Amino acid sequence: MPNKTNPLIYIVVLALALLFFYPFWVLFLIAFEPTKLTFGLIYPLQFPLEITLTNIVNSFNQVDLLGPLMRSLEVAFIVGGLALLLGIPAGYGIAKLTARISNKIIAFLFIINMMPGLVIAIPISLYFYSAHLENTVLGVALAQELVVLPLTVFIIMGGFRSLPRDLENQARVDGAPLSSTFARVLLPLIRVPILIAFILSWMTSWDEFTYAFIVAPIVPTDSTFPVALYNYVTRDLPLQSATFALVATVPVIVLVVVFQKYLKGQYLSGGLIG
Amino acid sequence: MHIRMHMDSEFSGIRERRFKITRKYLVYVLFALPAIAYVIGLSIIPAITVVYQSFLVAGKFSLYNYSVLPSYGLYASIGNTLIVSVGALLIQLILALAIAMVMMKPFAGSKIFSSIVIIPFGISTIVSAFIFSLIFTNVGGFANGVLVAFGFKPVVWFSSSISDLGVVMFSDFWKNTPLVALILYGGLSSVSPTLYEAASVDGAGAFKRFTHITLPAIAPLISIALLVRGVSEFNIFALPLVLIGYHPLILNTLIYENYSTLATRPISYAAATVLLLIIMAYSIFVLKIGGAKQYAK
Repeated sequence: MPNKTNPLIYIVVLALALLFFYPFWVLFLIAFEPTKLTFGLIYPLQFPLEITLTNIVNSFNQVDLLGPLMRSLEVAFIVGGLALLLGIPAGYGIAKLTARISNKIIAFLFIINMMPGLVIAIPISLYFYSAHLENTVLGVALAQELVVLPLTVFIIMGGFRSLPRDLENQARVDGAPLSSTFARVLLPLIRVPILIAFILSWMTSWDEFTYAFIVAPIVPTDSTFPVALYNYVTRDLPLQSATFALVATVPVIVLVVVFQKYLKGQYLSGGLIG
Repeated sequence: MHIRMHMDSEFSGIRERRFKITRKYLVYVLFALPAIAYVIGLSIIPAITVVYQSFLVAGKFSLYNYSVLPSYGLYASIGNTLIVSVGALLIQLILALAIAMVMMKPFAGSKIFSSIVIIPFGISTIVSAFIFSLIFTNVGGFANGVLVAFGFKPVVWFSSSISDLGVVMFSDFWKNTPLVALILYGGLSSVSPTLYEAASVDGAGAFKRFTHITLPAIAPLISIALLVRGVSEFNIFALPLVLIGYHPLILNTLIYENYSTLATRPISYAAATVLLLIIMAYSIFVLKIGGAKQYAK
């Protein structure tokens, strides 16, 4: 019986599930337990004896959580939108080239992605300073765009490659100009890769710390949520930080669960797998 | 003379044809140009600027920034960066392999299991750093809470440079293992199950099947995971910044610490150049060892 499930597997499954779930559990305990049960104890208990919303409510009153979250939202949508704006034409063009040239371009884009974030962020922030883009939503978005652009181009190129070759020619023979062929025939067919590229860009931007930290560092109300959260953590405000972390994490959990079937190794490792 | 002219015109014919093909492609290259220009403008040029600036002292070429780097803790920070990167990669590879192999098997609750292990992929590094700072607190903390509940002695997690680095390399597993697991799972699911059945009919045990079928099948994917994750491992910044601050130093915190003071900014450029070199050397090494074939494909 080759398909019989070995009961030992449940031990491994349980151990792994516990390991990966535990950090969420800690966040939950800190956010929803009264402090006398968390920071008040030398060794905090692992199960909630009491649940309260006081921490969350107080945190929202004490520190500005919505401001940084709204900024993160703005930045993430600009990054996702700009990624498509640059990535769709690039993916289309590169898909049309011979494999030899297109692979070189993709490889080039990914080599760029290997540049250390901090090394690039530092001179960029100096350019942005002279262009008055420091501490702005646009500045952070433009810097983060670098992180997401190669993967976006790669995913969208894959989408165009998977279309039948004659499709575009047939549409063109019918007399449609390139722009309307693009909008009416091609784009709807690659809506899934476009969606994946947008979601991944959005999530990357939502989580990104290094570029945001260097480009918009100083005032917490001026920065995105990861930078503001860092600020609260270093100011030793664990309750506010926990509330912040919780509120900021809920949307990505929803996104990952909803789009889980699209999260595949070959997309995420970007181009390096055949 | 005559012959030569004839040959010339023939050559130019070929050239013209080639030009025609090139011109056809040129249109498509134009589509990609904005994206390429963006990346060059905001990535290559800044990188060159950093390298160039690192060799300048008062506007003149000098190796001064590099000669003082060791006194800022260069060697220790390179060593620490390597320790954290190698350790974190090993932890992630082992956990990811376990996850990918488990996901290959049918079992009750497999959907929930894959959700639980994949969700941390979306977690912000800074959130992960914050949570692990609560878990590994010297006095109290949740990790010690677990130990004490099971009757063990509590551990002072941040007691030496090595244990500090250990906490950083372990904490990195949460956000980054899912990606490695997804990459490896892609490789495992391409192996035909009949191969395993045939092997077990031939009397190969579980261990032999693992070393002879599973590992060879995913070897190229391991090298890809090593490339993708390894490079980002050298770039970890938020996690050590929150968990251990500037002691012990890793390359990124060394760069940032010196960047944040105007007087030592050139030092940070030199350290950044060192990091750039290490990452380039590492990528070339991994590509040469294992990934070159996939990469060229």
